[in-house]
Amino acid sequence: MKVWPLKFRDLVDGTIFADDAGGWFKSDRGFLDRYGKDQLAPDDLSFLQSNGHAYERVGDLSHTAFAWRWASRQAVASPLAYVILVPTLRCNLSCGYCQVSRAAETARGFDWSSETLKDVLRFLDRLETDQIKIEFQGGEPTLRLDLLEAVRDFCRKRFLRSEFVVCTNLQRLGAAEWSFLEAADTFTSTSVDGDASTHERQRTVSAALTDEFFGNLAMAAERLGPHRMSALPTIDPFSPPDFMSLCETYEQLGIASIYLRPVNHQGFARRRRMRSEEMLLWNRMHSDFIELLIRRNAETGHFLEEYYFTHALRRVLSAGLEHHVDIRNPNLFATDYVLVDFDGKLYPTDEARMLSRIGHVDLSVGHVATGIDGERRAAMNASSMNNFDPDCIHCPYQTFCGTDLIDDVSRYGRVDVPRHDTWFCQRHMALFDKVFELVYRDDVATRLSLARWAGVAEWPIGLARRHS
Amino acid sequence: MISLRFAVEATGARHPFVVRLNDDYGLRSTTHDVYLAEFEGADAVFEGPGGLLRVQGLRSGEADGDVLLVIPDRNIAHRLIRAASDHNTLLVTERCDQLCVMCSQPPKTRHVDMFSLLETAALLAPRDATIGISGGEPTLYKDQLFGLLTRVLEARPDVSFHVLTNAQHFVEQDVQTLRALPAGSVTWGVPLYSADPGLHDRIVGKQGAQAALLNNLAILCRAGAAIELRTVIMRLNVARLTELAVFLVTHVPFVTNWAIMQLENIGYARKNWDELFEDTSISFGHVASALDLARARGISAVLYNFPLCTVPEPYRALAPSTISDWKRRYLSECDDCSARSRCGGFFEWYPDDRGFAGVRHL
Ligand code: SF4
Ligand code: SF4
Repeated sequence: MKVWPLKFRDLVDGTIFADDAGGWFKSDRGFLDRYGKDQLAPDDLSFLQSNGHAYERVGDLSHTAFAWRWASRQAVASPLAYVILVPTLRCNLSCGYCQVSRAAETARGFDWSSETLKDVLRFLDRLETDQIKIEFQGGEPTLRLDLLEAVRDFCRKRFLRSEFVVCTNLQRLGAAEWSFLEAADTFTSTSVDGDASTHERQRTVSAALTDEFFGNLAMAAERLGPHRMSALPTIDPFSPPDFMSLCETYEQLGIASIYLRPVNHQGFARRRRMRSEEMLLWNRMHSDFIELLIRRNAETGHFLEEYYFTHALRRVLSAGLEHHVDIRNPNLFATDYVLVDFDGKLYPTDEARMLSRIGHVDLSVGHVATGIDGERRAAMNASSMNNFDPDCIHCPYQTFCGTDLIDDVSRYGRVDVPRHDTWFCQRHMALFDKVFELVYRDDVATRLSLARWAGVAEWPIGLARRHS
Repeated sequence: MISLRFAVEATGARHPFVVRLNDDYGLRSTTHDVYLAEFEGADAVFEGPGGLLRVQGLRSGEADGDVLLVIPDRNIAHRLIRAASDHNTLLVTERCDQLCVMCSQPPKTRHVDMFSLLETAALLAPRDATIGISGGEPTLYKDQLFGLLTRVLEARPDVSFHVLTNAQHFVEQDVQTLRALPAGSVTWGVPLYSADPGLHDRIVGKQGAQAALLNNLAILCRAGAAIELRTVIMRLNVARLTELAVFLVTHVPFVTNWAIMQLENIGYARKNWDELFEDTSISFGHVASALDLARARGISAVLYNFPLCTVPEPYRALAPSTISDWKRRYLSECDDCSARSRCGGFFEWYPDDRGFAGVRHL
């Protein structure tokens, strides 16, 4: 019998082992010792065989299944069918952490020219897909409703299926804006940082604007319904919101999935000295939030989830979730999605455009008039995978994890920082530690939430296997 | 019950032949198309290139586009394909190398080769049809079967097949042939009853069957074949269903779906009903945990042939209506049931007095 390589990591009460194809189990140091010394007992071998970590001969069922599971864990490039458009950089708010991606509402030269609009439509027309998803970002995209209309009208004619997301601050909406958002193929995404006081501190600044925002938010929930509206809180771990009231705010909106988004330290916000304890704070806060959800879900019977945790959990449980741009491997940039900035430049992500804007590094990958620059993209994607990273190859979470070289560049100015020293790694290491802590926890409330988050009726007891 | 056989008279013909019935002239015209000429009493008379075909008891509009296999010397016609139905199955042989304890179609030793007639029928199927192929064991005649699939799919890219097979007879060389079939056009429905080889072999009545099956599932996987794994639950294997789920997510994760199936009271299952039937309306626990485990780990597990009211509410969405229209019925409890239109009901031969204890309208 041949055993596939195993990687391991100690948790508080045991050791997690995983192979390269997404198989895992919990055992102890004793097993590790036998494994390391090549002294596996018959019991060990039969467990490893039954859990998919070993095979008898090339091409037998275990071997083939392992190959299939390995392959199904690799993200495959799909055609470009998701385009983020920034028709204007101007905004009618000036949130503390968003200086770079905005310009003053009255500023000039921060909108698409009529030439750029033509180029955008031509660019979309040439895509080799009949389904498109367009996300309008800004600035505040509703300041240029005319451009949004032009793009939407075009797409509805050009593509068999099209879907539009408007990322708006919901600050100032007139009849025309509302009617744009109310179309059946159009979705609204906004930021709600928690209760009114947190939102005011981080975004709206004045009480009048805060009232206006929450008024529009309630109106949006009513007019659009929860399935056509999503919201995210941006969280500063140094001054987090009251999480209980954050949950209440979201529940009242009918939104059961909350994506805690760490405040983005690119752009002007990056000038704030990054304190070393930030990572620790974030991880502790995130873990506490998951525990809060577990308790709250069990008490209220209304289930909320933290979107990214659920996604991580599901990635641990099974293959088939390789398309989330925040966590996938390889993470091929400017392949299935791309961003068109206010000046027509193409960027692989929103972070990449902000980073380029501050002038640290140029991460653009072409121009909408001339298309994607294949050479620049290839240079970027050559190192956009964790498969050969000297740290990741020893990490049991490698198959579930991803890679984000743009985040690395943004924080450290380079892509070759030892993995364990990066924010990306430390955040995901903690995230997967939490997943494994919970899937092995013997507790009714935890199982209730896990079942919901995994999308099943009851959490199956025999799912997380142990070997001793 | 919808009739799958007609009494017919075919003037002039001696050998079996295939026709497609048409209510109107001109819509379809192959050498196999026959057209309704008149009604004579309770009979419909069709005319075509080969002469007249009289079909007893057929009303207008009832069989337009249907494909019949006419056996003139016995004066019968098998209704191979009903244009209005999603449940059309061609039986290619009655021989089988297994002898399952609950077999619904107990095998016979004699084989009549009908492949070329069945191929003609498949070519005449309505647009976008999914055609079932069943037996006996179709892969006992693997060359003919592969030939049929290859040629029909070449001529009719809109058609797809669902082949029920015990997967005992695939070999490495078949990978090439299987790969050459258009992707996704053939689904192989393969039964696996237990992760325990002894139990599986006992259920299918063949020593070494599970070992061969597992080996051949690997072959199907390497061929990129679409596989529907099927597990009929019985008192024999239900307690070990979760163990099977664990096995599947680890060793057979590549299946398109896993159908957990209730027993059909016909063939050997009728004879052995009392020993085999597991009343899941009383105890659903094993099925529930197998479903949850498989689904949490990425296998799309579903329930076939489960009346909705016998399934606890959280799992009802996983129980589509699967009993073929021509063998489906409902009970008196179903009369005022709000779920009836979504529910697959019962097999025609379901034993009212020895079936589910928990049937109640929803
Ligand atoms: S980035 Fe860190 S957590 Fe992710 S696979 Fe690499 S070493 Fe593991
Ligand atoms: S009462 Fe009849 S129709 Fe209603 S769910 Fe039960 S079996 Fe189905």
